[in-house]
Amino acid sequence: MNNDICFLAEFDGGSPARSALELAAGAAGLAAESGGAAVGLAYGAGAAAGAASLGAAGAARVVVLSDTDGPAISLAAAAAATIGDDAPLAFLAPATPNGRDLAAALMGLLGLPALGPVRAVRIEGGRVRAEQSTLQGTVITVSESMADAPQPVIILALSGTFTPLEGGGGAASVSTAPSSDAGALGAARIVESHPADAAVANLEEAAVIIAGGRGVGSAAGFEPLNELAAVLDGAVGASRAAADAGWVPYQLQIGQTGKVVKPALYVGCGISGAIQHRVGMQTAENVVAINKDPDAPIGEFADLFVVGDLFAIVPELTAEIRRRKGIPS
Amino acid sequence: MKIVVCVKQVPATTAEKRYTADLRLDRAASESVINPLDEYAIEQALRLQEAGAVETVVYLSMGPESAAEALRRALAMGGEEAYQVTDDALAGADQWATARVLAAALGKLAPDVALMGMSSDDARGSLVPGAVAAIRGLPLLSYAAELMLTGSTARIRRLTASGFDVLEAPLPVVASVTDQVGEPRYASLKGIMAARRKSLETWNLADLGLSAHDVHGAALTRVVEVRPPETKAPTERVENLGPAEAASRIADWLAARKLI
Amino acid sequence: MSHRTTREHDELRVIVRELATERIAPRAAEIDAASEFPWDLKELLAGQDLLGTCFEERHGGTALDNVAQAILVEEIARADATTSLIPIVQKLGALPILIAGSDEQKARYFPRLASGEWLIAFALTEAGAGSDVAAMRMRARRDGDDYLLIGSKRFITHGSIANLLTVFALTDPEAGGRKGMSAFIVETDTPGFSSPRLEHKMGIRGSPTAELNFDDVRVPAANRLGEEGDGFKIAMATLDRSRLSVAAQAIGIAQGALDFAVGYAADRRQFGERVADMQGIQFMLADMASQTEAARQLTYAAAASVDVDDPDLAYWTSCAKLIAGDTAMRVTTDAVQVLGGYGYVSEYPVERMMRDAKITQLYEGTQQIQRMIVARQILKRAGVSRAAKP
Repeated sequence: MNNDICFLAEFDGGSPARSALELAAGAAGLAAESGGAAVGLAYGAGAAAGAASLGAAGAARVVVLSDTDGPAISLAAAAAATIGDDAPLAFLAPATPNGRDLAAALMGLLGLPALGPVRAVRIEGGRVRAEQSTLQGTVITVSESMADAPQPVIILALSGTFTPLEGGGGAASVSTAPSSDAGALGAARIVESHPADAAVANLEEAAVIIAGGRGVGSAAGFEPLNELAAVLDGAVGASRAAADAGWVPYQLQIGQTGKVVKPALYVGCGISGAIQHRVGMQTAENVVAINKDPDAPIGEFADLFVVGDLFAIVPELTAEIRRRKGIPS
Repeated sequence: MKIVVCVKQVPATTAEKRYTADLRLDRAASESVINPLDEYAIEQALRLQEAGAVETVVYLSMGPESAAEALRRALAMGGEEAYQVTDDALAGADQWATARVLAAALGKLAPDVALMGMSSDDARGSLVPGAVAAIRGLPLLSYAAELMLTGSTARIRRLTASGFDVLEAPLPVVASVTDQVGEPRYASLKGIMAARRKSLETWNLADLGLSAHDVHGAALTRVVEVRPPETKAPTERVENLGPAEAASRIADWLAARKLI
Repeated sequence: MSHRTTREHDELRVIVRELATERIAPRAAEIDAASEFPWDLKELLAGQDLLGTCFEERHGGTALDNVAQAILVEEIARADATTSLIPIVQKLGALPILIAGSDEQKARYFPRLASGEWLIAFALTEAGAGSDVAAMRMRARRDGDDYLLIGSKRFITHGSIANLLTVFALTDPEAGGRKGMSAFIVETDTPGFSSPRLEHKMGIRGSPTAELNFDDVRVPAANRLGEEGDGFKIAMATLDRSRLSVAAQAIGIAQGALDFAVGYAADRRQFGERVADMQGIQFMLADMASQTEAARQLTYAAAASVDVDDPDLAYWTSCAKLIAGDTAMRVTTDAVQVLGGYGYVSEYPVERMMRDAKITQLYEGTQQIQRMIVARQILKRAGVSRAAKP
């Protein structure tokens, strides 16, 4: 057993995903407290070439699990072998589909304790404690692994739990994971891939999100939201109602079964704020809601709640921001 | 072809939540429903059965005795029989213990597909499907927007950042579904009445060949603190303003927070 | 008479409440505003087997006991009174056949009613024969193996949309309404039948209330219920049982208004405190709740009396409908009061509930008729015979 903090570093399109940078920073911070090192386990296309660059993000060492895209659960055996007998203190995984599946398989294979999805992690008296919002945000729980549980404790971290380091230096030392047979657990294969016609914004990394709901009424109704997002350098998201209606692709859905986002600014337009949506955006730093229903539940938890017609207000807001930013319309 | 749908009983989103003295959720005190995402798993299984791709739909749940209600509700939607794992030693089970117990029960039931909702409403860890797959040494097809069964393989459609992928694995598999598989049906009255005559068998840990020691006293983790969420600053309400004035107020608010 | 609700009753309530809350309640305001029959909800209820609860399993029904049927109506009415009339009228129209129909008649018609494929209506009331049923004018004249129906009916709930009617007409006008009335099953696609006009109503606006015309409508004698002259008896036996549904509907409306008022009072703040914390409001809510509960328990007791075919069941069902109808009117009126000005506007559902509640004091016997029935029963028990009218 040692005091290292491992983390999963997903690569996406040849470079580390934002989750990798966040977890690297988180692992570095925790490792500084625990007296260990931050060790990345990298996978995805570009992981081999980009592994060393994670040093700047906080990693001391990086082990490459794979250099191709595919279901990450097939890497569980390799990850288990990498952790080996010299178990680290904690193992951070991003709360993404691949991150969750790989973390889940490790939990099952090695009988490890797992916490999450968490929104804060700290070390108290040498023990890792994680803070979690449970039961649809109605309670906050702080959890730890049992004293006699094996290590590492797996921690599933929501995006935005840690902040990437800026201006870090140095390259991480890179090695390759020992080869191991995933067996049936790794048997799922991607047999077809269908990209969408148009590129879809990566909501999880957007600092500003303009989200539309049932009140937007149609696909065309999203146009004013697109314009507002453009002047704020933001992305457009949606509630499940809007995605179900086919007004936007499902990839833009925020909520329990969609994306979990943590932007600096979230503007909800015509969104009632049902619990299923709320769990996807409740960690946004600033929440503005525009809704003509004065009793919409979003009015209970928005920071600024404007009662009114979004189709009248949003274009005015876009124009006002253009004026203040000096952007010609 | 046999599907076992794993069903969890969770507190209703509207119910008041209470914790016991040892910081576990007092499930007896909360109004409970089938975990909504598990209803989608049930719906997917029943649709496959109606399409003739599946002969038998079986439900499996781990939880306190009262969780039998969730299984009755599931049986009212359709399917053939249900199994409940209940044991005092499982009170407060964490995700690992849940996966360990479900994996053991699935070993006895030996389905072609073990199907689950992608996460549970109360904890949202999404770890149980992958852990069950790992413990049983089976392929995992997770986050399915649709499950398709053909001969000896299972396929799923899964949404990606920009479109969708099709994944495939040889049976038997563990699979989890999202809410895209289709709206769950309401139980019909005849379904409810028929469910009363369907078999619901109860197992304890010993029936699964497990001891309390095997599940590490039901948990490898523990809650050390429960508290209400931070009370946020009260909502600032803007009402009865014209569009231009309202827009200006929003812009002021954003500027004050350096968001523009 | 006593009753006991079972686990099955509780289970039914949970299931119907979920369906009603998620699928029916959101439609209630638009059904009322548009005055349109909710065909989508009829399909929904049919698909959930909720229109066949009074029919035997061999006819495709689910044969629920009367307490369960009351719970079903109550939970739907809690969301929308108009929609609750779909199962209510399906049973009302079928009751004459359930009471007096032959096995052949039941087998011929019940499967389509139990599945909800067909709707049925009960055609008794006429413009000049409301509470005074015996004042009926409509005729049924024997013509070989058939009868020819001629005349008109008014205030017939679902009369314009039903596929089937149970119709009451005089086969022996000389003998008068009590002795000369007979009952028939009439398919509404029979030539000579028409529904020229609908009423504009205060409440239950999505439920069409029709005027029906019968212009020599030819009905086979095989569609007569019981013997000639049984009509009045069948009609009274029907109403003795069907008013249980109206009592259940009234309780549902009251409960819906009470639940909304409680939620509103808990949220609304005035004078710096929650409305729900004001004792004046608390007392109103307490009265509303206890009266609704009393009406509910009385209705279940009446339902149990119908289940065992108690000879005194008319007393029980009239007591229940009288108390439940008045309770619904009082509770919905108080709910409007709890909401203050908001209660009076259509943005909130309680004004609709108040308008809907009024009908439960009127149809299937006005409250005055219920009192007459109750009084008659208690005087009979006391050995006091009916006074001869001068």
